[in-house]
Amino acid sequence: MPDTGRHKKTKKDKDKSIDRICSETWETVYRYVYSRVQNRQEAEDITQEAYVKALSRWRKWDSRPEKYTAYLKTTALNIIRDRWRKSKSKGAEVNLEAVNPLEIAVEDPSTAAGQRLVMEDALGRLGKEQRSVIELRIIKGFSVSKTAAVMGKTESAVRVMQYRALQALADIMDED
Amino acid sequence: MDDKERRLSEYIDRLNSGKKPEQHGEKESTPELERLYDTVRRVRSLREPDLPDRDYPDRLAGAVKNRLARKGRIRHKKRVRLAGMAGIAAVLVLALMLSSMLPLGKVDIVYAMEEAFREVKAYHGILEIVSTNAEGNESLHSKLEVWADKEGRYYIKGLEGWQKGIITANNGQKKWQVLTGRKEVNVFPAFPDAYRFILELGNEIDQAKNALSTKVVGEDTVAGRKTDVLEVTPKGGEAYRIWVDKETKLPLQKQTAVQNALQSTVTYTDIYFTDAIPGELLVLEVPDGYSEIDKNAEQLVNSIEEAAAAVGFIPEVPGELPEGFCPDKAAIVPDTGLVKLYYATQDNETKVVVVQGKADGEFKRASTAVFAEVNGGPAEVQSPVQKEQGILSGGGPYAGMAGISSIRWRQDGYEYAVIGDARMEVLIGFVEGLAGGTLETPSDAEKPSGVPQVKVSVDMEAEQNEQKSVDAGHTPWRLDPVFVAQVFVSLEMSPGGIVGDYPVAYGELEVVENDGAEAVVEVDGDKTPIRKVYLQRLIRQDSTGIWTVVGYDPAE
Repeated sequence: MPDTGRHKKTKKDKDKSIDRICSETWETVYRYVYSRVQNRQEAEDITQEAYVKALSRWRKWDSRPEKYTAYLKTTALNIIRDRWRKSKSKGAEVNLEAVNPLEIAVEDPSTAAGQRLVMEDALGRLGKEQRSVIELRIIKGFSVSKTAAVMGKTESAVRVMQYRALQALADIMDED
Repeated sequence: MDDKERRLSEYIDRLNSGKKPEQHGEKESTPELERLYDTVRRVRSLREPDLPDRDYPDRLAGAVKNRLARKGRIRHKKRVRLAGMAGIAAVLVLALMLSSMLPLGKVDIVYAMEEAFREVKAYHGILEIVSTNAEGNESLHSKLEVWADKEGRYYIKGLEGWQKGIITANNGQKKWQVLTGRKEVNVFPAFPDAYRFILELGNEIDQAKNALSTKVVGEDTVAGRKTDVLEVTPKGGEAYRIWVDKETKLPLQKQTAVQNALQSTVTYTDIYFTDAIPGELLVLEVPDGYSEIDKNAEQLVNSIEEAAAAVGFIPEVPGELPEGFCPDKAAIVPDTGLVKLYYATQDNETKVVVVQGKADGEFKRASTAVFAEVNGGPAEVQSPVQKEQGILSGGGPYAGMAGISSIRWRQDGYEYAVIGDARMEVLIGFVEGLAGGTLETPSDAEKPSGVPQVKVSVDMEAEQNEQKSVDAGHTPWRLDPVFVAQVFVSLEMSPGGIVGDYPVAYGELEVVENDGAEAVVEVDGDKTPIRKVYLQRLIRQDSTGIWTVVGYDPAE
């Protein structure tokens, strides 16, 4: 049964390659997806989908995994775009990236650091209360009730304040 | 507060909880909200990402291998069909596909079952239920022929044992049961349907998925097939075992824990997978000499106008339906003057019914319901439905049905209820589409107010044990705050113990506040020494958590 033997060996090798690719690249791809979707559930799901899509197209199973990180990221970004656009209403475009996805997928770390500085600068230009509500609700991840207790406001006031703070922040970033 | 402010806040809450927000590709939005959602994500990017569990790389690799193998099988499936072998293709493809899934390990076995079941459309099997007593003697309890599909339709026929000849079926439009002994055919509404035949594959896999723990404890051969034996420890309950077919990766046998010195073993002695249940089995036919008893109080109508003419008011229709839902059918209940509008997802897996009728008397919340408000008016939320109060009692049965939740409220002289097996966010979407306003849940509203004048000390160890006892099906009254308050007040009045009727009647107590974790019950009447009882769910803050008295206010 020479054919069967060869097939088994090929499948085993393929499985080993998948194990290696996943273990060596998952964190980079996952972090990339997470930075777009900002929640673990979706990040895990889209990361898996990206590997399935990308690996189903690959033929050279012995290729070095690091070569494919950019391709995996691009695939992931396309999946996010496809999913989020599927049922959006007219005019409500998803602002993931307005540039070539492949360029974004291979972005260098200094770009991310630059974006972080821009965001920190924009936050610094908000009023004290608006900055507080954003820090408590989004950066620290407090609930509305806990934020309200910390700030000495009602829950309704917190919701209104966070809405206005995010509007102001978006305006600042648009200006820049 | 505007709807957009609430939606933005919910979006932040979802991200904070690590869950995918509905707004990501599922819900229509405005450009302004999209801009703010984007800003939220940008701000969140200042945080360190929430990384997956340590086993994620292994799970990822396993899932990728599994899905790539499945893709190969699907390509094979298409070729087989093209060759004109459509009739057997599904079975062949399924067997091939399932045979190459993940190797069964302690971590992967439940996932492998889920993935395998995802490919199943319908199945047909012979189920044997055998009871074993304390002496080890076995007896055949019953033998069933089972047909089931993924849309919740089924046909179950008793072949041997006490169910011999009894047929229970649900075709999605109605449910019926043919009772040979009484020569009757009883007809019920198709939804909701509490009937679950034992070892229903999807249900079994869900239970394993939601279990406290699962572990592979050995291998065995069942009905001539090699299996892995999986021990499942459910949340609150005794561990049981399921035997998972090594080839199909689906459950083949289940053995319950010993209860009352009896243990049941349920086995598919034969099972195969198919595209659909044969159509003739899903047609209600009344055998000669049998009488049809219609227990389905509702009557289908062709339009809202037809419903309006029958009940004397124009029913409200949701202005906007939650994503993925479309109208299914409309019905009236002539005896109670109710209108029922049914909605379903396109795959028919999730159903929601909107019940409405003229308000009658005072709006009273069920004693187990969480308090809420719709458009500032009183509302109750039950998840799951435990008691049928108000309009629910005329549209049911709903109480006690697994996975069925409800929201009930009053508005402009009418009472409404939205009931379904959908997520609570979906039910809220229906409520807001109908009411044209918001549902304020306890997280939005004030916490139960007031501090008890007299505090009651609590033995937490005893409460933990009591919770375990309730989880095992004993003393279910501990789940009802009114009952717990009634027992507490009664024991205060009769410290030596209650003989005969309770000194204070159940009807004399009323829940005045309940946010699901804390509740206040007021006691009416002249005899009672206690006016208000304060309760908390100390062990678990959901519908399965017991209530404990933590304080009270004496009567003046």
